[in-house]
Amino acid sequence: MIRGAVLATGLTVLLLLAVVGIVLVPIALALPDPAGAIGIFLLGPVSDLRHLGNIIEMATPLLFTGLAVSLMFRAGMFNLGAEGSFFLGAVFAAFAILEIPLPGWAIAPVAILAGGLVGSAACVIPGVLRARFGASELVSSLMLNYAALFFGLFIVNYVLRDPNAGAMLSYKFPPAAHLPRVLPGTRVHLGLPIGLAACALGAFYLFATRWGYAARVVGANPGFARHLGLKITAVAASVQALGGFIAAAGGAIELQGLYLRFTWQSLPGQGWNGLVVAILAGNNPLLVPPAAFALSYLQVGGDLLARNYAVPAELVGLVQALVILFATASAITRSPRLARLLARRGEQRDVA
Amino acid sequence: MWHNLLTHLGGGLFLAATLRVSTPVLFAALGALISDRAGVINIGIEGIMLAGAFAGVVGSAFTGNAWLGLLTAIVVGGALGAALSGAVHWLKADLILSGIALNLACASGTVLLLFALTGDKGMSGSLPSKVLPNIDLPFLDRVPVLGTAFGHQHVLTWASLAAVPLVSLLLMRTPFGLRLRAVGENAEAAAIAGVRVARVQFLALVLSGALGGIAGAFLSMGYVSWFTGGMSAGRGFIAIAAEVMGGGLALGTFVSALVLGAAEAFATDLQGIGLPSELMQTVPYIVPVVALVLHAARRRATAA
Repeated sequence: MIRGAVLATGLTVLLLLAVVGIVLVPIALALPDPAGAIGIFLLGPVSDLRHLGNIIEMATPLLFTGLAVSLMFRAGMFNLGAEGSFFLGAVFAAFAILEIPLPGWAIAPVAILAGGLVGSAACVIPGVLRARFGASELVSSLMLNYAALFFGLFIVNYVLRDPNAGAMLSYKFPPAAHLPRVLPGTRVHLGLPIGLAACALGAFYLFATRWGYAARVVGANPGFARHLGLKITAVAASVQALGGFIAAAGGAIELQGLYLRFTWQSLPGQGWNGLVVAILAGNNPLLVPPAAFALSYLQVGGDLLARNYAVPAELVGLVQALVILFATASAITRSPRLARLLARRGEQRDVA
Repeated sequence: MWHNLLTHLGGGLFLAATLRVSTPVLFAALGALISDRAGVINIGIEGIMLAGAFAGVVGSAFTGNAWLGLLTAIVVGGALGAALSGAVHWLKADLILSGIALNLACASGTVLLLFALTGDKGMSGSLPSKVLPNIDLPFLDRVPVLGTAFGHQHVLTWASLAAVPLVSLLLMRTPFGLRLRAVGENAEAAAIAGVRVARVQFLALVLSGALGGIAGAFLSMGYVSWFTGGMSAGRGFIAIAAEVMGGGLALGTFVSALVLGAAEAFATDLQGIGLPSELMQTVPYIVPVVALVLHAARRRATAA
């Protein structure tokens, strides 16, 4: 088990390096100063406290969406609603902050809860439609992400909008709505410990409770689950609700940790990033934090590159696409030769 | 107001708008259909559409010819279909996740290339790109509804209508279509019968990508005359929903694409009479979900 984990981690690190090389080297060669560009991408993010803080701050939402996608995939549903849930979660957190009269101490937690509950709809609806009617959760979750975007913008424009702000922005939040900073000198906020705790709890749920066991059996082997007498559709749908809540609460926490008011005009892409994190983590909640930090390291590298050279930060999107491709390419991950190379032994082990 | 709206729904203008809005969805849905019948549903069609829109603009701007722009879009679409096949057949990656990776790559790749060519990340306005023409049928002008509906449609709208029977013939009446459906039904049985499964699926994905490329070219060389990042806006996913609703047939896919197009055109009209535009913009995404559920429920009821 431990050998398997080491092997898988080694493979993942190698893969990340290979992907970064494939994308970065040709682009850097087109720039006047290739070595400087590669250097700033790879070393810039760890060069000082502020950039390290950026990595942690950008990894925080990925902890939630990565965990959410991992759990939903484990239960055997290809639900991509985390993107819509994250966005709606933030919208309804803003709604709770601005529209519900609450004592100061209650504002932040109630907003996270409200955002989490309402925002989970973008994951719950595809899950229920699949369980109840057999409609493809993949297709309906992709559609509902866009519906969630425009519905959220409707709420912002018609309910939360500050007419004096000029653009389509909400009213400013009261100070009690903001999550406190936890690392002086950075913007890292309370969302980080909450996210890490959520991943630990997620692992406990998945590997140490009967509900988590049921979810894993339903996802891995529906036939066996039916033999055990598990209610397959109910189990799968309830895990979608849990995943949706986590992704949506992540959106609320991101908003309350970093923003003074609601400003998003489009889907922030954290659901897709969460998918990449889940794939890197092998849908294992314990591996979500390292995967989230790795991805966010690349994002900060991309941002630094964009700031110093004429290369758009969208470069990171190409890296993510290749990560998805290579991490799921069984011709690579199941390659006996590569496994031998990493294990330095003749025998093959099942990568758990 | 409501009365006017209802008469409008039966009128030529609404029909014309429906056909126009349906065009990219129909092309992409036919592409999704070919891939799905071969057992390799092309989730990457959303990104392929975006790449096609970009390739059309760049191709026409550099050659000065709209038709060469369309050709560029078709070639790029087909090449991306081939790339998806490479991911699935050669790297043995997951089909759905490879499609999603393709979408991500196209979304960021088009922005990177746009920036490299124009120095602008948002829009292709500075490129002298061309548009494909409308086909004017002056003799229809005096016919009441049909004149407005069909008299001045885009050449690719007509092409999309023509593509429906062509795709149907390809799938149902040719030896290649038979092999393709056999592979999609049961790849192992087809392999035993001597069909080269990977080759058939490769060709299906290339065709699917080429159709996605045309769908994209319509967006940037017909619907509007420029490229903006993310301009496919989920139409590729709507196309996949249309294909699923179409029950695996070209005609069914056509009807579904028209229904979804009509929903989008109607939502645009409702914005015009003052309903909140954000809410109306959800309609093109909610209607496919409702239709998918109805379709799935009916299929389940027939099976039971």
